[in-house]
Amino acid sequence: MSAPNFYGIRPPGVEAEPLPGRLLVLEGTDGVGRSTQIALLREWLEGRGYAVVHTGFNRSEMASRGILRAKRGNTLDPLTLNLFYATDFWDRLERHILPALRAGMIALVDRYIFTLIARAVLRGVPRNWIEEVYGFALIPDKILYLDIEVDQLLPRAIGTRGLDYWESGQDYLRNPDLFSNYVEYQGAMLAEYRRLASTYGFETIDASRPVGEVFASLQAGIEEVLQGMAPEEDAGLPPGAASEASGPTDSS
Amino acid sequence: MAGLKENTYPGKLFIVEGIDGSGKSTQLDLLHKWLVSEGYLVVFTEWNSSPIVKSTTRRAKQRRMLSPMSFSLIHAADFASRLYMQVIPALQAGAIVLADRYVYTAFARDGVRGVDRGWLRQLYSFATQPTVSFYFDVPLDEAITRILEGRPALKYYEAGMDLGLSRNPSESFRLFQGLIKNEYDHLAEEYGLVRIDATKSLVSQQKLMRQMVRPYIADARRLEGIGIQDALKAHRLTGRYLGESDLLKEDA
Repeated sequence: MSAPNFYGIRPPGVEAEPLPGRLLVLEGTDGVGRSTQIALLREWLEGRGYAVVHTGFNRSEMASRGILRAKRGNTLDPLTLNLFYATDFWDRLERHILPALRAGMIALVDRYIFTLIARAVLRGVPRNWIEEVYGFALIPDKILYLDIEVDQLLPRAIGTRGLDYWESGQDYLRNPDLFSNYVEYQGAMLAEYRRLASTYGFETIDASRPVGEVFASLQAGIEEVLQGMAPEEDAGLPPGAASEASGPTDSS
Repeated sequence: MAGLKENTYPGKLFIVEGIDGSGKSTQLDLLHKWLVSEGYLVVFTEWNSSPIVKSTTRRAKQRRMLSPMSFSLIHAADFASRLYMQVIPALQAGAIVLADRYVYTAFARDGVRGVDRGWLRQLYSFATQPTVSFYFDVPLDEAITRILEGRPALKYYEAGMDLGLSRNPSESFRLFQGLIKNEYDHLAEEYGLVRIDATKSLVSQQKLMRQMVRPYIADARRLEGIGIQDALKAHRLTGRYLGESDLLKEDA
């Protein structure tokens, strides 16, 4: 347990007192299998007696409406949209993640600042600027990155939900068709994630393998940071009871 | 420390800063009217007014959801939106842009709220450097009197109630404005803001402003001959039916 560390600045209102919880971040591109792994990890962690809070994007009360409206209308320049995302991210950090960590819980976060940085950089936002802006982000105890190649990703996307507008960079790419945009966009996202992986010390996990194997790798990575952290068994919580205290869980 | 972006456009940007009750808006309004009467193409923008961001800010303020960081980020989003939608296109077109409050308002207010000052300067490093920045310097007591006389009730954030300086809104406002004035005094040095003694008469302040602005605007774009009033005059028409629309109002 140590005092909270931030990438750049300690935001006002956050005390220097240590946070007994753990911040676990799962990063990876669209369709790589994050939601499945998050579901498995929650069950596993809760089964071992930990209280888990799970949070993802666009869940904050503050800016999500504005973001949805802006995305629908497609009216914002990249800087404004990314400042909206930053507001939303800070709101989640402040309202869901930090309180959970103060209470000794595990915050299991589906995408952190890295996806936001990668998306912004691809759309022409200066890299240094956006990374500095997110200097207010708490440094996670572990960043698990699910890595994959585009040609492995493609059949998953085609076979399930199809190719999505945003996940193909349709908002800014100018290839003649959706498929070409998807391949270009996801290729650029993966390159950006890999760059971030070395800068920010991600633990890279090969997500092209079967679900069970990926899960086992994630478990091994998480096990390290759970050491020295007491499960809540003493409180007499039955497995799963902790989820009632967790944040919103709807997927959007 | 990050500076602002040099104005490489043909247009000119004049901005006013100062604590509430310093009379800056009145002076900018007088300058605006003068420039219009001289035939210049003038665009006016004010703090926290972007139609896209405003609804989010208003909602969050009503619910008192804004922590210092979210306050800072949402105002940066508002600023970016106005800069890219309003200010820069106008500068590119060679217009004169007048801004009631600029980045220095964020530096002062957010700085007082405990946000890291270096981070704030980095956050706003995308802003265009003003041609001239006016700082309306007024003794605290005089500003407070002007505001409290003319206003029925102070709003929560306006009075700086979120800082917990005092439970009494008027007292909180006084303390808050005092801290902001202190920030402004430093900013005036740091950025070479043109200090205007706001205790002087309206006329002498305005004279000084015009004197400072005049050397920069010789080449700014003028609107002569394209207004409705000019067209009416040239064709000896009265504009009987134009009165039904808002056209004349806009032109006036």
